[in-house]
Amino acid sequence: MAGRPDRRVSILDVMGPVMVGPSSSHTAGTARLGRVSREVLDEEPLELWFFLHPPLAATYRGHGSDFALVGGAIGLNVEDPRIPEAIRIAEQQGISIDFAEEDLGDVHPNTVRIVSRGATREVEIIGSSIGGGVIEVFGINGYAARFKGDSPTLLMFYRDRPRMIHQVTGIIADEGINIASLACSRRQRGKEAFMQIDVDSLPSRQAIERVRALEDVFDARYLDKIP
Amino acid sequence: MIESFKHLEELGRERDLADVFLESDAEEYGITAETILATLAQRRQVMVECIHRGQKGGLSMGKLVGNEAKAMSEAGEAGKLFLDPLLSKAMIYSLAVMGENSRMGVIVAAPTAGAGGVVPGMLIALEEERGIAPEKTVRALAIAGGVGSIVALSASISGAAGGCQNEVGVAAAMGAAAACYVVGGDTRQSIHAASLALKNTLGLVCDPVGGLVEVPCVKRNSFFAVHALAAAQLAYAGVESVIPMDEIVEAMVRIGRALPRGLRETAEGGLATTATGCSIGERLKQEQDEKRRLRDEERERLAIARKSESGV
Repeated sequence: MAGRPDRRVSILDVMGPVMVGPSSSHTAGTARLGRVSREVLDEEPLELWFFLHPPLAATYRGHGSDFALVGGAIGLNVEDPRIPEAIRIAEQQGISIDFAEEDLGDVHPNTVRIVSRGATREVEIIGSSIGGGVIEVFGINGYAARFKGDSPTLLMFYRDRPRMIHQVTGIIADEGINIASLACSRRQRGKEAFMQIDVDSLPSRQAIERVRALEDVFDARYLDKIP
Repeated sequence: MIESFKHLEELGRERDLADVFLESDAEEYGITAETILATLAQRRQVMVECIHRGQKGGLSMGKLVGNEAKAMSEAGEAGKLFLDPLLSKAMIYSLAVMGENSRMGVIVAAPTAGAGGVVPGMLIALEEERGIAPEKTVRALAIAGGVGSIVALSASISGAAGGCQNEVGVAAAMGAAAACYVVGGDTRQSIHAASLALKNTLGLVCDPVGGLVEVPCVKRNSFFAVHALAAAQLAYAGVESVIPMDEIVEAMVRIGRALPRGLRETAEGGLATTATGCSIGERLKQEQDEKRRLRDEERERLAIARKSESGV
């Protein structure tokens, strides 16, 4: 059997997570996808839109995926017993919530596109809940990404130019932190681009500020493991 | 990284199988074996608590299930359980976990929530009935997780991807390998236990009534707890699977691909589209629409209240 590194999961991934029922792919995985959107947004959401791939749209309500997606998107963990009340909690906070069906193409059946808008920014993530609470995020703000929420990650939006990778990895190297993987995607040479750097441990706040302060960097965000 | 079950058998020859998995993960993810075991010990505790709560019963979200563990425990008190106590207990405990799951209670996905009754049900029953130390159960959970992680290299562990074989079949394989280890089986026997359990689950579809993790999921978990114990017993007795585990997983993936969409968790085939399944589905949909209507009303009420607060 050929190993597929993108599907590599740990003992603790398989024997877990501890979660609110009833479905790991529809409740835990979706809560984690919601949580990714919250972490990328990095501020309180005001509006949330969930676009569900048709098979998920057919099954989400009975599994509490709506509660889970919203719960994650407002920052609840998968084992938080408040998840069944998440929509009520969000609405009491004045957050507007919308669900719609959308064909997201040739993707895993349990795939969702989440758009969240806060006071200062709007973010879009696309990801799949592939079973057992494991997720794969493959789109962030229109860029190709590869993100499982299982390791600390630096996300960076910048203008494509020579030496950018060198400068960013230099800052991470100054922290003595090992880079597990690095991927870039860009709209066009010299235009907006996206970089994802998976790291083995948490960089300091100062390091993030140094990355943000680099010329041509629009935004940088550090995501910890998604619980 | 352990790349296949064949590779696992080589690595695990004359070795403690739990150590093989723990060392591999420790290296791969940069955490110590002790940390993994400590986390698994917490999860075992969540399982035990879930099993206790679950026997008290209570209706599920869709009101289709929830009191099976309670019914069977009460039958036990009335002297009406005729199976070996280990098997009866494994069934009760699996039902208890699944009852909790169906009420949105806190459970451990093992490997999924919908198949999350098998491993805790059989392993906690085995622990209690055969006087196994909890520490040994925790090591067995590492084996269960390790077996699942090898399967996950080539198969998506979800009913949506390949039917129930990918969920309860994998859970039974994990549990069978773990149980075989607990009773004293070696690595080869544990792998054969997993093979026998998975092989005899191939083709099982995912056709939940109303799309809920209730029918047939809750009771099915109790059947597969027994199934997995039977596989462990066979393998420990020296019975081997003719088809190797890696090839069984490949077969599972092919079968999953061949399954029509309606039998992969969409609630558009099988039991879900029986006369009874359809009428339940219809009732659930009406209830959900009603809930949504009430939610919309409350949303409107809140919006009006906010406006009047802000003096607009």
